[in-house]
Amino acid sequence: MASSVRDGWALVGRQLLGQRWGIVAGVVAGLAWTAAKVSVPKLVQLAIDRGMEQGDQDAVVRYAGLIAVAALVAAAFTGLRRYSAFREARRAEAVLRDRLFAHLQRLHFAYHDGQQTGQLMSRANNDLQQIQNAVVLVPLTIANLATVLAVLVVLVLTDPVLTVLALGSLPLVNVLAKRFATTLHPTMVGVQQESAELSAVVEETVAGIRVVKGFAAEDTQARRLATEADDLYEVSMAGARIRSAYWPALELLPNVGLIMVLAYGGHQVIRGDLTLGSLVAFNAYVVLLVWPLRMLGWIVAMAQRAAASAQRVHEVLVTDPAVTDPANPTPLPASGGEVRFRGVRFGYAPGSAPVLDGFDLHVPAGQTIALVGATASGKSTVAKLLPRFYDVDDGSVLLDGIDVRGLELTELRRAVGLVFEETFLFSDTIAANIAFADPDAPPDSVVRAARLAGAHEFIGELPHGYDTEIGERGFSLSGGQRQRIAIARAILADPRVLILDDATSAVDPTKEHEIRDALTQVMANRTTIVIAHRPATIALADRVVLVAGGRIVADGTHAELLAASEAYREVLAAAAAREEQARHAALDGDPVAAVSEETAS
Amino acid sequence: MMSMGAVDEEDRLDRAQAQWVLRRAAAMLAPYRREVRRAVALVVVSTGAVLAGPYLLKVGIDRGIRPGDEAVLNLAVAAYVVVAVVAYLATRAQVLLVSLAGEGFLRDLRTRVFDHLLRLSMPFYDREKAGVVVSRMTSDVDSLQELVQQGLLQLVSSLLLIVASIVVLAIVSWQLLLWCLLPVPFVVWASIKFQRDSNAAYLTVRDRIGLTLSSLQEGISGVRVIQAYGRESVEIDRFARRNRSLYRAHMRSVFVQAWYLPVIEGAALVCTAIVVWQGGRLVADGTVEVGTVAFFVLALSNLFEPMNQLSQLFNTVQSSGAALKKLFELLDTPVDLVERPDAVALPGRGDLVVEGLGFAYAGGDPVLHDVDLALPEGQKLALVGPTGAGKSTLAKLMARLYDPTEGRVCFAGIDLRDAEVRSLRTRITVVPQEGYLFAGSILDNVRIGRPEATDAEVRAALASLDLLERFEALPEGLASEVHERGSRLSAGERQLVSLARAALADPAVLVLDEATSSLDPGTEVLVERALERLMAGRSVIVIAHRLSTAERADRVGVVADGGLVELGTHAELVARGGRYASLYRTWVGGLASA
Repeated sequence: MASSVRDGWALVGRQLLGQRWGIVAGVVAGLAWTAAKVSVPKLVQLAIDRGMEQGDQDAVVRYAGLIAVAALVAAAFTGLRRYSAFREARRAEAVLRDRLFAHLQRLHFAYHDGQQTGQLMSRANNDLQQIQNAVVLVPLTIANLATVLAVLVVLVLTDPVLTVLALGSLPLVNVLAKRFATTLHPTMVGVQQESAELSAVVEETVAGIRVVKGFAAEDTQARRLATEADDLYEVSMAGARIRSAYWPALELLPNVGLIMVLAYGGHQVIRGDLTLGSLVAFNAYVVLLVWPLRMLGWIVAMAQRAAASAQRVHEVLVTDPAVTDPANPTPLPASGGEVRFRGVRFGYAPGSAPVLDGFDLHVPAGQTIALVGATASGKSTVAKLLPRFYDVDDGSVLLDGIDVRGLELTELRRAVGLVFEETFLFSDTIAANIAFADPDAPPDSVVRAARLAGAHEFIGELPHGYDTEIGERGFSLSGGQRQRIAIARAILADPRVLILDDATSAVDPTKEHEIRDALTQVMANRTTIVIAHRPATIALADRVVLVAGGRIVADGTHAELLAASEAYREVLAAAAAREEQARHAALDGDPVAAVSEETAS
Repeated sequence: MMSMGAVDEEDRLDRAQAQWVLRRAAAMLAPYRREVRRAVALVVVSTGAVLAGPYLLKVGIDRGIRPGDEAVLNLAVAAYVVVAVVAYLATRAQVLLVSLAGEGFLRDLRTRVFDHLLRLSMPFYDREKAGVVVSRMTSDVDSLQELVQQGLLQLVSSLLLIVASIVVLAIVSWQLLLWCLLPVPFVVWASIKFQRDSNAAYLTVRDRIGLTLSSLQEGISGVRVIQAYGRESVEIDRFARRNRSLYRAHMRSVFVQAWYLPVIEGAALVCTAIVVWQGGRLVADGTVEVGTVAFFVLALSNLFEPMNQLSQLFNTVQSSGAALKKLFELLDTPVDLVERPDAVALPGRGDLVVEGLGFAYAGGDPVLHDVDLALPEGQKLALVGPTGAGKSTLAKLMARLYDPTEGRVCFAGIDLRDAEVRSLRTRITVVPQEGYLFAGSILDNVRIGRPEATDAEVRAALASLDLLERFEALPEGLASEVHERGSRLSAGERQLVSLARAALADPAVLVLDEATSSLDPGTEVLVERALERLMAGRSVIVIAHRLSTAERADRVGVVADGGLVELGTHAELVARGGRYASLYRTWVGGLASA
């Protein structure tokens, strides 16, 4: 889905159109500020020419009063224009961020599989920041253009030749400011990049300090950091050299104008062709124009960056969710849980080899089956097709006789509970994580779910029990504890079909049997699909299905398969080989210590 | 533009702390004394030039134009040209000089802090959170970088400009200056209030940015769970609320700016009105000339604009001060595990002997006490016991990752504290539980402890563990970058690299922390085999989690309650019926119930 720069502009344009009155208010405030600000040098000129030079004290007081009025007007509107410019820019940023987030939430799994979190983060953060920077400049630029025009008019009316001499060098300010911004930008990016590389060395050294100390690798790491620090120094100095080339030149140019005014204007005044007040006013106007011209230079560079950012944001927003609600959804029957895969073919990427091909499976309501297979046999894919995380390429997946593509997504996903192999918990309390499916669930059912998942006991030992914050800023749990919370989360949702995808792999084997006992309770009267490696977990199932090469190669009870299938015996043997290994915790003996180790890790 | 610095209330420096930080910073700037002196001199020159412009205009008007003396006018113009050129050159040089000194200072600071971090011993890393340690080198140094690149020059020249403007204006006409100073108390009051409000507003913005980003991150990485539970709308609303509160925080900070800016701009323009009003009166009674009035009108911006700059920069300066203080404090953290000046190299082989060993963290209860133990050359010792009983502390003491608080550890009769650290690490090598990889190739990772090792030596080390083929089979062989997508190594393969490191170091004593998590079945066997080869002919201390490991060791030590409670062969200890025997029974029982 390629977007062009034009799409980027259009995206920002439409957003600004929606905020047009706010922008107009900013422009109006800006124009009022311009009028007041531009009038001041003119008033000073009049005060000198009509007051001081004529000895008319009343006129001086009158003009001083007018200057005071202009001062108050300019002050009031400079605040207003700044406030409204930033308000619209921040609002545009916030609205686009909301849209981006909402869109990402609705995009299908396959899209997210192909994206890196960092990339998407940078769309919603850095790119929107760039757009914000440019939007601020929209009303400011209009006011600045007005200032430049107004000053030009006033000056030309006073003395066209002097105007050319005074302002002649100023367009260069604009050109230089633009080139400055464009030249400096790569070194600013370079500084960021070198800083990031330096941070990476620091982070990995601190994280791997045991290795560094153990192998006396201090010198190696110190040299690596010194290299990074040198690189950072070089790129920073490159930036400094650019600043030293442009910055003084930008300050010099207005001086050229001021010298011209004094040189040419001074003689004009002596000759009587120009009033003294006008000479002073010319000076003030040259100074007044410096900032608006610099900003006009920046905006070109900033707008280019903003357009590139907007293009990237647009690219995300125009990607259509591939998995959506059907136009006329069929409601699910009140109860059930029958699952059927009919001739399913599926591959993760178009054109890639199918992971499942000709896959047929029927699970009657209430049955517990175990899906067994080697790595990459396609068994986890089966779990992901039922809740319609992906759509099949061919064939159909049915829940209670209805094709999952005919069901409303929310209803389907509430009916199918999947515990993933990789546990994802939110930075929130334990209770909120368990009650994720139903935040209004009473505390009793949270505790019940936790008990069934074998999590109640360790939760009770946490500093704040169920109210313990976990995640980035909170308490960190061990892999096994996280999995148990994830299981409790699925149990609380009370789905008619429960899928456990290797959901107890990180749970300490000495604890797993407790969970297994509890899970038997959960599985009663509920269709359950267990994907597992451990024989003890497989034993929970009424029926075992062996998957290999994207289809079912054996189907029966554990005992039947053990007797009949060589492939099944091989898969189990591989799992058993790891069982001794998994026994490690037994040597730590003390059960309290074992729990505290999990808690600490 | 908006200032980005902000400082937490508890980090704000008091006067004594600020002086201490300044003294330390000045000492570190010593190598750049020349640049700093020249920069200061040039700032004085360019400040003079800024004021000279309007002053020359005044001279041109009063001595040249009004009397009609073209020669004086031309002289003023010529002087102006000189001033402009001088200002240009001075600014150019000072930007470079300030950067040379500032960036050089930052580079020195980075390497010094990092070198110090590397010298600090394990107890420091056990005590401090990794995130905090890293932030010293990242966010703290970055806030200084911001000051160096954007603020320092402005800060100095703004201060100088205010002072110089007041002096020059007073010389030209103190009467007019007094009138101009009328709004100054108001501006000063507003600046102080602004500085406080904007600091508070920016801290809020920073917090809310953090919250919004983490909720964004969670929404993206948790999108599969969110969709699985059909919670998209709820999460979208939740995010929108966070995002909205960030918007409000931004608007609060915009409001603070929008309120302060008019004060500065208004004050300058009101002053213009006052100058015209009072200047007109003074011109009328002949106290001053018209040129003076023009001079005041043009120079007034030099009085108020720097005040604006200063109040914007104030927070950046404060947060940089706070950052510097933290960095200097870190540099002052004493290094407790140092090499003695008369340290000796350890011999190639020998027994490892522990005598009356005790250890306690500073101010804490003893973790270990009265441990006596001898590990004869080539023997294998397994340490078992409940977590937290001290078995890994004992292992770390035996490798001098910590220094004991009582007793001593000797290798070949030499106290480890008298040994050269480098030779100690080559004789006694610790292989951590998980294979940790650094950015770089497999080759780089293996020779992390011996960077001078040749490719051939690395190959030999890999071959000695029978791993050479395994890693040469990677897309780019041993040159494969370990962190790049596509050549990411599995946990087992990382462990193999870690073992190869130890093989390259070729130590006499190996300290192993057995992995507790399971590896992929394919590499599990390889790890076992490589470990076997690595241990052959060496003394080994292994922190054992598996019974089979303990069974294979020459002797087993049970560490419990901070002491070595049992020591003997597996068979002896099982027969003795103590702690080890009961652990053994639990294990056998656990296996039977599966």
